[in-house]
Amino acid sequence: MSHAAPRRKPIPPARVDLRVRIGTLELKNPILTASGTFGYGDEYAHVVDLSTLGGVVTKTVTVKPRAGNAPTRIAETPGGMLNSIGLENVGLARFRDEKLPRLRVLKATVIASVGGETPEELETLLRALGREKGVGAFEVNFSCPNVAAGGARYWADPERLERTLARLKPLTDRPLIAKLSPDVTDIRETARACERGGADALTAVNTFVGLAIDLDAMRSRLGKATGGLSGPAVKPLALARCWEAAHAVRIPVLGSGGIASGRDALEFVAAGATAVQVGTATFVEPEAATRVLEEMREWLGAHGHARVTELIGAFRAEHAQEHAPATLAVEERS
Amino acid sequence: MSTPQRTWRQVAAKVRAHREYGAGFHWLDLEVPTGFAAPVAGQFVQLLLDFPSPVLLPRPMSVASASRRGGRLRIGFLYAPVGSGTRALAKLAVGDTVHVTGPLGRGYPLAERGTPVLVAGGRGVAPLLMAADVIAKSRRRCEFVFGARTASLLVGHAEARERLARNGSRLHVATDDGSRGFRGNVVQLLDKLAGKLEPPLVIHACGPHGMLAAVARWAMANGARAHLAMESVMACGTGVCRGCPLPRSNEARDRVLAEGAAAAALKGNPEWAMCCTDGPVFESRELDWERVE
Repeated sequence: MSHAAPRRKPIPPARVDLRVRIGTLELKNPILTASGTFGYGDEYAHVVDLSTLGGVVTKTVTVKPRAGNAPTRIAETPGGMLNSIGLENVGLARFRDEKLPRLRVLKATVIASVGGETPEELETLLRALGREKGVGAFEVNFSCPNVAAGGARYWADPERLERTLARLKPLTDRPLIAKLSPDVTDIRETARACERGGADALTAVNTFVGLAIDLDAMRSRLGKATGGLSGPAVKPLALARCWEAAHAVRIPVLGSGGIASGRDALEFVAAGATAVQVGTATFVEPEAATRVLEEMREWLGAHGHARVTELIGAFRAEHAQEHAPATLAVEERS
Repeated sequence: MSTPQRTWRQVAAKVRAHREYGAGFHWLDLEVPTGFAAPVAGQFVQLLLDFPSPVLLPRPMSVASASRRGGRLRIGFLYAPVGSGTRALAKLAVGDTVHVTGPLGRGYPLAERGTPVLVAGGRGVAPLLMAADVIAKSRRRCEFVFGARTASLLVGHAEARERLARNGSRLHVATDDGSRGFRGNVVQLLDKLAGKLEPPLVIHACGPHGMLAAVARWAMANGARAHLAMESVMACGTGVCRGCPLPRSNEARDRVLAEGAAAAALKGNPEWAMCCTDGPVFESRELDWERVE
């Protein structure tokens, strides 16, 4: 049976209300740049007006600077790319003293991505940055697949996530967004653990662990064996994880994974995401986030949606009893 | 606090010429719209095919010529269709659209004082054809050392000879098998020529990394400066993805650490230089050639 939505009268795209809310932070629209794909924001400032985006999620910052992994760090695979950067970043001090002041000038809504090998390191970061002017929210990177310690595997433990977020929460008055790995048996468990710990939102998902082998050399095409897969190849996988996570929690979810068009973005919104992040597409097209935003606005206008929030979670599985994680989540909670 | 000036743009360019260049190589001429800055020799661009492209990421490609015709900027590329990206590029026809991001990276400092010696290995000749043009336009001479495994791989050899002869510059050829010119590699030929040239020598080179390492070592041992155009797999090409690291030398590492916060924003990594923004052209003392792959 078809469930075609009733046709609505188109409205001018400029009149579509794109504002969304992530905890106490209002975003002017739901399009953000994904961490690690937009530098510290200012690298693209001459081609993208950062103030028009919903937000800029910065490259993950750690307490100490990190030099990153040995080459090779990038390998293209069909429809996607593997990366093994290893959290190269300038470290807390330079982030606070050099990068943040520039972002303030550019009037971007800044979401600072922070990463740590231990809960204590994350506490150090939040203590230093938690009340810093010009940071709208924090995204805690619980899901880097490319570091020896403190990566996706370490943070896949729901109890550890819950405990850690509970310790971070009092250190800032800004929203805390937990970025989750897709490489877990059940993302609903990590999602709920973050919510219990006090996360204000989730990002679903980080890259998927992947491997590409150079058969002639019989070695990985990356310097390390595995890397994180991103790009259009992961979109259906990421969308499913996002859908599961969004229906397992009451807090907003930011969708991420292979988004390269307005329609891609709206699929994540329909699956339950309040906002989305554009990542790998920016490497292909530096102005990708801006285009995704305009395409989203056009689609919503053409389909008569006055507000993007009307579409959040609009997708309902036809066979909800069999498949929908939403039903399960509600039962377990009640 | 100095902010690095960024001038690159992504634009839609038109294919104006595309032809076989011999030895399996192609020459591609693109016309870019106004607003696209003219590249300097040694810089590169990211080429992206129109949808549907068989590959996701744009491909970094060194610029082999830049000229203005009727106010329009034309950029030329010399390439061999060897991978999935360049094979797709080879199918482009005149009039097709290609997306170009650039100009990217740092090129050769051709104005540096000294006797310019251009050293090309195989298809590494591309940016040096452009460098030779620029040197000729500034009414200076250069020595052009061109090496390949065998004569048939001396891509653009005839054109290079003709261009160089116009302003009294000289072409010196080396082949590993002796099928043309000097039998041996470019470093052996360079060593033979050096004594006859007015010091200081300023070498500008491009070719396989093994050759560039040998040129760099020769330069450091012989009191010459050498600027080497490196290659890497890349994703963004603009410095944000941090995907194209090259190992810094101890000297460069110490300098980066000493500069600390005063260093330019993207050069703060003491361990690794990024090929795309710190390079692709590096002076010999910047990199650790033992660890260059």
